[in-house]
Amino acid sequence: MGYAFLYIPLIIVVIYSFNNSRLNAEWVGFTLDWYDKLFNDEDMLTAAANSLAIALVASLVSTVLGTMAGFAMYRYKTRLLPILVLTPIAIPEILMGVSLLIFFVLMNFTLGLVSVTLAHISFCIGFVAIVVRARLAGMDESLTEAARDCGASPWNAFRYITLPLIMPGVIAGALMAFTLSIDDFVITFFTAGAGTITLPLQIYSMIKIAVTPEVNAVSTLLMLLTLALIIIASRVSPSLLRSD
Amino acid sequence: MKRFLLLLASLLLTVPVAAKDQLHLYNWNNYIAPETVKRFEDFCQCEVVQTYYSDNEELLAKLAAGAKGYDILVPTSNAMQALIKGGQLKPIDKPQLPNLKNIDPVYLNTPFDPDNKYSVPYAMSLTVIGYNDQKIKELGLPTDTWAVVFEPKYLEKLKGRITVLDSSNELFAAAFKYLGYSANDTDEKHWRQCVDLIKKAKPYWAAFNASSYIKELTVGNIWLVHGYSNDIFQANLDAHAAGRPFHILHGMPKEGAVLAVDNMVIHKDAPRPDLALKFMNFMLDGKNSAELTNLIGSGNPNTGAMKYIKPEILKNPVIFPDKTVQPKLEQLKDLTTAQRRLRNRLWTEIKAGR
Repeated sequence: MGYAFLYIPLIIVVIYSFNNSRLNAEWVGFTLDWYDKLFNDEDMLTAAANSLAIALVASLVSTVLGTMAGFAMYRYKTRLLPILVLTPIAIPEILMGVSLLIFFVLMNFTLGLVSVTLAHISFCIGFVAIVVRARLAGMDESLTEAARDCGASPWNAFRYITLPLIMPGVIAGALMAFTLSIDDFVITFFTAGAGTITLPLQIYSMIKIAVTPEVNAVSTLLMLLTLALIIIASRVSPSLLRSD
Repeated sequence: MKRFLLLLASLLLTVPVAAKDQLHLYNWNNYIAPETVKRFEDFCQCEVVQTYYSDNEELLAKLAAGAKGYDILVPTSNAMQALIKGGQLKPIDKPQLPNLKNIDPVYLNTPFDPDNKYSVPYAMSLTVIGYNDQKIKELGLPTDTWAVVFEPKYLEKLKGRITVLDSSNELFAAAFKYLGYSANDTDEKHWRQCVDLIKKAKPYWAAFNASSYIKELTVGNIWLVHGYSNDIFQANLDAHAAGRPFHILHGMPKEGAVLAVDNMVIHKDAPRPDLALKFMNFMLDGKNSAELTNLIGSGNPNTGAMKYIKPEILKNPVIFPDKTVQPKLEQLKDLTTAQRRLRNRLWTEIKAGR
């Protein structure tokens, strides 16, 4: 039942991307015009490409750093570390956006794709760290100790015992970082420079002239992509997505 | 030696052409015709890179925090005034803008930018009444007065079929105009009167709506709106394209209305002020300016544009108000901090009250 609330709007978005009417209010007829239009809309395509590139880089980097942070929080029970890692999750996005912008300006850093990616990495790390730490907390510590007893170096124990065990957490964190990055508006808005456009920025600026089914079309393609990512992840390693 | 020279020459010839010049335009979405951009790019041998905002506040926030890299901005007058006060703009070199002569003097030398030191008008819109011609004719309602938005005797017939803008400034301005005050009235007693007026009308309104009312009008769910002239124009185009039996028309309230003028300005850190001036002059050309009006039905301060504008738009008395209406149009000024606080409190009272 709960899933119905989640999926019905998504299905409607997909259906209306084939609707032969600019209005998106009622079903008129089937058409592929909006996809045709989308593939000729340079602004929208650039925006989508930028969003994907940012999300890929941001999720990769923040997964590595976030896993390290999560591991450190689990291993060394300091008070300071969790505060440092988790604050970006708690503070309002607008505050973070403005402060990052001011920081970039102070550093004389040219605003653009790089600044947006750095900003995304900084807020994604915390989310990955939380998921990874939760996974670590549920792990049987004696397994790592056994590996160490058998002569494994700390790195090998991590690489061959801990990492595979927490892998579902790491993957979940990465997917989370990817989705957070791809639909972030506020922080992106502040850290994007002249000429840098991402999908949410592009769609939002279109609100003034009423959203056309072209937006549905691009959303449908994004959903397909996400679906593909999940399917690939589960194919490559079926155990990754099982929460055993 | 000869071979060496030959090699050198061939190397020089294959040196890649330097990256194209770029003009960074920070603009509203869909606020310049694609063919105009194309023509400017050919004319200046450069590339126009557009970034968009959907609200003046977005633009102000971004620039206040120190964002750079934009050449041309297109803020509405009151936001432009804030930018001037904040020292964010570069004065324009008027001798480089021979086409400035095309602008109707009515729109020059306004209190927002005396003597047009920083800005030239780009395009404008009015906040007026938009309506479904079929339904309003059936109901026999007037469309030339704000009374139809505020008076229960008219609203009874429109219950649940009318929306107003979700903007305290716009709604208060309409109420001020209806009560016979200036759209920029600052008398607290008058503000209270507006609140009473709005509260009495509110039960009849379907929503405070600033984004989806275009669609609601086109579909036929909503029959009358307090909205922007450009949006109403768009709604009519959409209704036509969707083969609806009705039209969406503009109604000009006889009490007057809010005029919003968007202006081209140059940011103080503009990387290419030279290209920015070229762009300004280009957009002040009648033909180029007319293309925007033909695209979105915006008002046009450019007298040179008139002969290029589609006749059906040119004869629309709301998009091109005549001399008798012009004095009743007002641009909104910024509120002071204290006024804004009071306005917010009243707005909350309006929206939360029953």
